[in-house]
Amino acid sequence: MNAIDGSEHVATEAQAPPPALLTIILDTNPYAWSLLSSTIPLSRAVAALQVFINAHLAINSTNRVAVLASHTQQVNWLYPTAARSSRDDKKSASDGDVDMANGSSEQQLHNGSPAANSADKYGPFQKVEHELMANLRQLMADTTAAELSASTTTQMAGALTTALTYIAKATIQAGSALTGDVGGSLDDAIQGNIVTAGGGGGGSGGAGGAGKDGPLSSTADSSAARRIPLTSRVLILSVSGDLAAQYIPVMNAIFAAQRQHVPIDILKLAGDTVFLQQASDATGGVYVAPSAPQGLLQYLMFGFLADERARHVLVLPSVGEVDFRAACFCHRKVVDVGYVCSVCLSIFCEPLLDGACLTCGTRLALSRTITAIPALIPRKKKKKKKTGGVSTPGTTGAGTPIPAGTPGPS
Amino acid sequence: MSSSASQALDYLEQLPGTVHRKLYAQPSTALAVFRRMLPHTAKAIVMGMLFMTKPFAATDLDAWIQPDARAEREQALSVLESLHILGTETAPAGGAPAVGAPARSYRLAPVFAASLRQALMGSGSHRSFGVPCTGPPPPEEHEDVDIVDVAFLDEFARGQWEAILYYMVGSTGVYGTGGTGERVSSGTRTLLQLGNFVELRGGGRAMITQAGFTFLLQEVNAQVWSLLIVYLENAPSLKMDSVEVLSFLFMLGSLDLGTAYSTVNLTPTQRQMLDDLSDFGIVYRPSPTSARFYPTRLATTLTSDAGALRSGVLDGGGISSGLASGQTDDAAAGNQGYIIVETNYRIYAYTSSSLQIAVLDLFCRLTTRFPNLVAGKLTKESVQRAIALGITADQIISYLTTHAHPQMRKNVPVLPPTVVDQIRLWQIDRDRMRHTPGFLMKDFATRVEFEETCGYAESLGVLVWKDVEKRMFFVSRIEQIQAYLKNRARKAA
Repeated sequence: MNAIDGSEHVATEAQAPPPALLTIILDTNPYAWSLLSSTIPLSRAVAALQVFINAHLAINSTNRVAVLASHTQQVNWLYPTAARSSRDDKKSASDGDVDMANGSSEQQLHNGSPAANSADKYGPFQKVEHELMANLRQLMADTTAAELSASTTTQMAGALTTALTYIAKATIQAGSALTGDVGGSLDDAIQGNIVTAGGGGGGSGGAGGAGKDGPLSSTADSSAARRIPLTSRVLILSVSGDLAAQYIPVMNAIFAAQRQHVPIDILKLAGDTVFLQQASDATGGVYVAPSAPQGLLQYLMFGFLADERARHVLVLPSVGEVDFRAACFCHRKVVDVGYVCSVCLSIFCEPLLDGACLTCGTRLALSRTITAIPALIPRKKKKKKKTGGVSTPGTTGAGTPIPAGTPGPS
Repeated sequence: MSSSASQALDYLEQLPGTVHRKLYAQPSTALAVFRRMLPHTAKAIVMGMLFMTKPFAATDLDAWIQPDARAEREQALSVLESLHILGTETAPAGGAPAVGAPARSYRLAPVFAASLRQALMGSGSHRSFGVPCTGPPPPEEHEDVDIVDVAFLDEFARGQWEAILYYMVGSTGVYGTGGTGERVSSGTRTLLQLGNFVELRGGGRAMITQAGFTFLLQEVNAQVWSLLIVYLENAPSLKMDSVEVLSFLFMLGSLDLGTAYSTVNLTPTQRQMLDDLSDFGIVYRPSPTSARFYPTRLATTLTSDAGALRSGVLDGGGISSGLASGQTDDAAAGNQGYIIVETNYRIYAYTSSSLQIAVLDLFCRLTTRFPNLVAGKLTKESVQRAIALGITADQIISYLTTHAHPQMRKNVPVLPPTVVDQIRLWQIDRDRMRHTPGFLMKDFATRVEFEETCGYAESLGVLVWKDVEKRMFFVSRIEQIQAYLKNRARKAA
């Protein structure tokens, strides 16, 4: 009888795990999948993903899932179904917004679908499967040859941004559900705002909408601090390499995820992108690049199924050595050593022609030593941005140890 | 885990392995057991192993789980083993070199694994997730009810269930109208007596028992399970196969609210069950002979876990707000709390339901009643009166917590600590002993043996008391300690 205090009781009561929202970004880049078709074709990967989603939903009946396709030209919702695809002919009527309210559209589809309700499948699994496959087929059918020839990469930045906006909205909704009627008005007020942001990212190819996540992440941050109504994570099934062109939006999305405490898990089937490694490292997610992609399902079930709570208990795979290199702002190339603007910290792969920073316009006094290799310039401020222990022999001796060489800002 | 989960778990755990194997043959049951009965860590372990082709070596499992999560691991493994989901093999595998002890490895029970795989992949033709009824209902069933929608089902379920509760509360004599239970069928009344929730006194008048108070103060889902477990325990005497009863209950948990299901696929036992279940309000049948039935929210949340039910859609009178979402998955959206407790022990309950007022009256001194509000106070006298009736302080606290008003939920902790402590102190005033069922371990040969075993028990969290001088300690669960001692003996030999 020495344990009489209120806190102990409340601690046990709050033990029930909060619902988990899993947002999956499926990279549907046709080029990459055609390269992979001999080891694991898209259809088999999607089948494995289906089972994985079912497993996630099976763990807790309040668990939720959202699936996004990051295609060559645009980002599409696979589940839940957007009220109207932004690429539809009636674009003017819907102004490109993605309606993410689960209720109406889902209900409609559920009632209307002939495939729904077979006695051999669990209802919720069936619904997800049906919508996901229908939307994926639609996406493939809508892809034209012209679009394919226009781009060979994938809209990862747009997909990440859309996923984060969805998560932010779901978190707010869950939070308001927890506290009842008070949150309702907040929800209504904020709804229009976020839906627009999501539509921007999803509608016309991501990069534009990606930079504007500042205010959004701050609202989510404050609500997550109180009590966790919903734990979210993002899983990226990535097959494309070379995301350097989207460096800035991708990094912005990563930092937004970090602030919202959303881990980004990466399953890298093919290709090689340094930024996704950084994403999982910065947000505390899992990174796996399977050596045998045929066993995709086992990788998913073993490494990626654990939610926030189970992650405290399990030892998770992560990338041993993270490549922290950045991409330059001028040519979108990944650089080992670059030039950094001393005012706005923009990174450039080569000295600027007129000495003015492309981002902020500050004139940088770099022109006199423009021909020398970076290591030999004595007076210029050259900061290697997080080289992560990879120090090039040429730069270590010369760059930093000259204390007198720091010039004034202009 | 919530109390309701552990109740059902306790019942399942004591079933023999053969019954488990029969149960797991149905994918819907495997899925429901997985979702409802297993601790969180166990779910992760099962899912990780589900698609493995080889047994999972014990050493690999240890490497997978973080060293400081030992208690969770042991708990997960013990539940999995007692439900016969996980088996241990000490296969002297051909490849493994003899290193003293043979390599231990784990394997999922084949029947369970196959069923769960089927459930996840949607394969097979087991028809275990309910056969939906398509087509319009026959005209003769159209007359009494216009349309069977979710609102109607909720209303029906609430009516039936509250009638049962009211029958029990009414029997306290505080509100004289109850006690005879015109609305409660005789079968249900017999069941309540069998479960020792009420007992008949002179003149056929029911008196609520201590177990009945425990029942009354639980959340709805736990109440449903309590009653169903009594039902299960008495199923054999009604010539019903408990495996069929259980698998039917688990199947009900996987159905969609608001959909009609056909009875064609049911066994005679299960058809017989439908009558009883509709008395409880768990399923709705348009007529006793109808070939279709509708699961109510009580049924579809049977296998949801505690998180989904915290907000208890059926609690309170305001079931309507649970309907806004329309989906069981969004149950969290409907929040039914109605009680506000202040640090000065005053209680305000936004309710007009006589059932809820009657329950509150068990442990509060109610002073004022308004059309939608009852105000009262927790006093020493009122709480001790409740304790004298057999209600415990923990039950009062958990009732107040579960039904706390949304405004209260913003506080951490939900209830004011002063009030919680005081309720406990009031209880201790009367009650100076606490009993813990368990096992006393004594007669250890050496001090080292005692200390190691005791340390193991402590790390599992089952140690209740120890006396180093006398080399004795007391544990609440013994299964793992037994296994540990056996291993120790084997190692020593």
